[in-house]
Amino acid sequence: MNAAFWILSIITVLGALFAVTLRNLVHCVLSLILFFLGIAGHYFLLRADFLGAVQILIYIGAVAVLMLFAIMLTRHVTGDEEEREVLGGKWWAGMGTAVIVAGLLWAVIRKDQLTAVLPAGGATTSVAEIGKALVTDWVVPFEAMAVLLTAALIGAVVIALEEVIRKR
Amino acid sequence: MSIPLSSYLMLSAFLFAIGLCGALSRKNAIIVLIGIEIMFNAGILNLMAFWHYKYITMPTAYMFAIFAIAIAAAESAIALALVIAVYRFYKSVTLDEMTDLKG
Amino acid sequence: MDHSEYLQQLVRQQWLIPFFPLVAAAIQSLLKRPARKPSAALTIVAMGLSCLFALRAFFATIGGGEHHDVERAVFNFTWFRFGTTSLDIGFILDPLTAGMAAMVAFVGFWIFVNATGYMADDENFTRFFCFLSLFAASMLGLVIANNLLLLFMCWELVGLCSYLLIGFWYFKPSAAAAMKKAFITTRIGDVGFLLGIVMLYWKTGTLNLYTHDALHPGALEQVSALALRSGWWGLSAASTIALLVFIGAMGKSAQFPLHVWLPDAMEGPTPVSALIHAATMVAAGVFMVGRMYPLFTADRGSWVMDFVMWVGCITAVFAATIAVAQFDIKRVLAYSTCSQLGYMVMALGAGSLVGGQFHLLTHAFFKALLFLGSGCVIIGTHHEQDMRKMGGLRKYMPITFWCYLIGMLALSGVPPFAGFFSKDEILLATFHRNKYAWGAATFAAFLTAFYMTRQMFMVFAGTWRGGRPEDYPHSKHAEAHGQATEAHEDHGGEPHEVSWNMWLPIAVLSLFSIGLGFFGHNYGEYLGAEAGGSEEGKAVVMGASLAVVALGLLLGWAIYGRKKMEKATDPDPLLGALRGVFIFLNNKWYIDELYAATVYRFTATCGIFFRLVDKLVVDGILHAIAWTAWAISQAFRWVGDEFFINGGFDTGCETVQLGGEELSKLQNGRIQNYFRVLSLGAAILLLIYFFT
Repeated sequence: MNAAFWILSIITVLGALFAVTLRNLVHCVLSLILFFLGIAGHYFLLRADFLGAVQILIYIGAVAVLMLFAIMLTRHVTGDEEEREVLGGKWWAGMGTAVIVAGLLWAVIRKDQLTAVLPAGGATTSVAEIGKALVTDWVVPFEAMAVLLTAALIGAVVIALEEVIRKR
Repeated sequence: MSIPLSSYLMLSAFLFAIGLCGALSRKNAIIVLIGIEIMFNAGILNLMAFWHYKYITMPTAYMFAIFAIAIAAAESAIALALVIAVYRFYKSVTLDEMTDLKG
Repeated sequence: MDHSEYLQQLVRQQWLIPFFPLVAAAIQSLLKRPARKPSAALTIVAMGLSCLFALRAFFATIGGGEHHDVERAVFNFTWFRFGTTSLDIGFILDPLTAGMAAMVAFVGFWIFVNATGYMADDENFTRFFCFLSLFAASMLGLVIANNLLLLFMCWELVGLCSYLLIGFWYFKPSAAAAMKKAFITTRIGDVGFLLGIVMLYWKTGTLNLYTHDALHPGALEQVSALALRSGWWGLSAASTIALLVFIGAMGKSAQFPLHVWLPDAMEGPTPVSALIHAATMVAAGVFMVGRMYPLFTADRGSWVMDFVMWVGCITAVFAATIAVAQFDIKRVLAYSTCSQLGYMVMALGAGSLVGGQFHLLTHAFFKALLFLGSGCVIIGTHHEQDMRKMGGLRKYMPITFWCYLIGMLALSGVPPFAGFFSKDEILLATFHRNKYAWGAATFAAFLTAFYMTRQMFMVFAGTWRGGRPEDYPHSKHAEAHGQATEAHEDHGGEPHEVSWNMWLPIAVLSLFSIGLGFFGHNYGEYLGAEAGGSEEGKAVVMGASLAVVALGLLLGWAIYGRKKMEKATDPDPLLGALRGVFIFLNNKWYIDELYAATVYRFTATCGIFFRLVDKLVVDGILHAIAWTAWAISQAFRWVGDEFFINGGFDTGCETVQLGGEELSKLQNGRIQNYFRVLSLGAAILLLIYFFT
């Protein structure tokens, strides 16, 4: 199992890295997809099967595709895909901040040395349980989520729609 | 498994930092959104790592994670719609050029 | 009442003697000029009152007891105190003082009467009598002083009055120069005097001379102790003080080498010469030595007394030689005075207080007589002073002639006139002390007789060599008197006798010149001298002095009397005989020229040097201090004000402004920047949270 963890971790980290450093936006999104895959693999490794599936469905299937569409729609008219400057002004400020945060978290984790061992037996929350919980204990958030998604849908359409109406 | 919890935590922290880096350093708005997504996922991975090691029989964290993913998806939809709308006005998506809030 | 009690009562009133002339001087200084009659009356009356009081004191001391101790009454009182010390003033009434005061007052009175005639035409009449009264007051104050402070004050005051009166006709350059010379020369002597006073005060702790108080003895009552303590130059304290004090007397009494001012002092009016420079002020030095005599005699083994004697002897001979070759009638008398003062000093040095003091008294009378007589001559010949232009005045001014003759005989030492007796005392005392000094003094007596005879023949005998009326226009009169009245208009250019207020005083004085000599012995007793003294050698001395006097008179008649000068331009007979010597003597041994080349030049150089020091050093220091103050103020201004206060303020304002400029860059409208700041803040919070 250790090997699986390390391989997945490498895939995930590489995916994230390339996602933020590549020049070509499409390559970035593809790398992001790789990242999502790695995360899904980690979920599977953590015995959260349903979540892994959801991850693949939603993130890769919807969010990444959406990003591709957005990239398509926001290209320069000239068709120039390359950016001249990758980094924004004063990029080192952000980099520094990130480094600080990373360092902090690392120091903390090292200090605490959290070691927990999985209880034996392979017990986990099954999908059936999750499904049952969704409509019994967690029904209110579930419905609220539905409302939220509806609002988001309508909102996105409205925001992106304006131009179409005007152009007419 | 013999992977300690701290490994997962470090991993998620690392990913979070990478996402933060990208969000702060790149001048393309879409890359910023990508960075935000990375941060989101890192956080949820963290949550699930804890669930796995301590509360694996309880669905609470699981639910949380499911809803979080849903919200993240909604949020990215809205954000991308905004990017398209902004693109129409500025004819570009580089954040450096959007300084109308200045002053 | 008891005699000493009577004296004690009188001494409290001693201050009255100088008081009247002082008041007269004060009133006259306020009078409007001219005020001849009131001024003259005031002065004469005041002096007369002084004379009465002085004579009363004198007669009181005569009626002394049978004992030979000196009766001395003193009265001291405190003038002012500071801390624990106090300054006293005191009066004394003893034979020395009483005799001197009586003489000063009496002779002064007659001189004042004469002066009303002499200065009749002068327009500064009131000022003259004001100064004369002030002088009389200070001289009398000096005489009655029992306290060195009072004595020194009066000493300086008489010096001041002498200065004012010598230069009375200050518009004449020669008079202005003479008044300065007199003051400065006597000042040099006064330095020694002051040093002596200070040293005396230091050694004895008091300035009073006699106190009759065993607990706080006066300075002169401590001389035996002083004679044992050591002073300077190998002398005892008493002798050192005596020497210093004598230097003051040398200045005031015109002893060699401080004699140079006395002949020049003849620039003043003749009554001034009579009073100040014959009878009283110059005698003050002699009197002062007599007053401080216990200091001189306390230490018998010291050389101070011999020093005094030789100074006097040298002066006597030196001045007499110069008098032989002078042509101005007053100059002859001036050098004669100088010579006689030398005699008095010599007597004091030889140990004879009586001799010196007696000669002082007699000399006062006949010298005043001679000077007043010369004043009459001057007025009578219309301000002629050159003897070569006189002659034959016996016919024109008989009264003056006879009185002058009496004075001349007294001065020459012809018996039975007063000068013979007093001079004899001196010569006797000197004979006992040192034969060489006696020989020189006798030679001086010969010269005295000679030059006085010369003067008599040149002035009174022969024919009138002076000018005719047209040689003396009235402008010359006016010039000499300073725009006087026209009292002299009505007579011709011939000499004439003077008015009664001028010849009466000389008549009175000539009486005294005749008669005073017989009281020599009484005077000795009166002063309390040891009876007798050594009488041996008296015959030798008397014989010798008679012989030289006769020789002098004979020689004078032989040279000047047999073949008299015909015209004013005739050369002096001596000129032919002793040409070089005569010229040397006529030029006063060139002493004045010597002083001019050495002392004056040295003083002038010192003056220039000190002026340079003043300008460079003192002014330099002053400028340096001022510049330093300015520089410090500038430094403070620069550092404190400019740099810190202004600069600090400016910098603060600039910092705020720049900070604002920098901070405003945060709000640049770029969202990503806001995000960065946000995450940085979050990181800091995490830091704080996790590590504290």
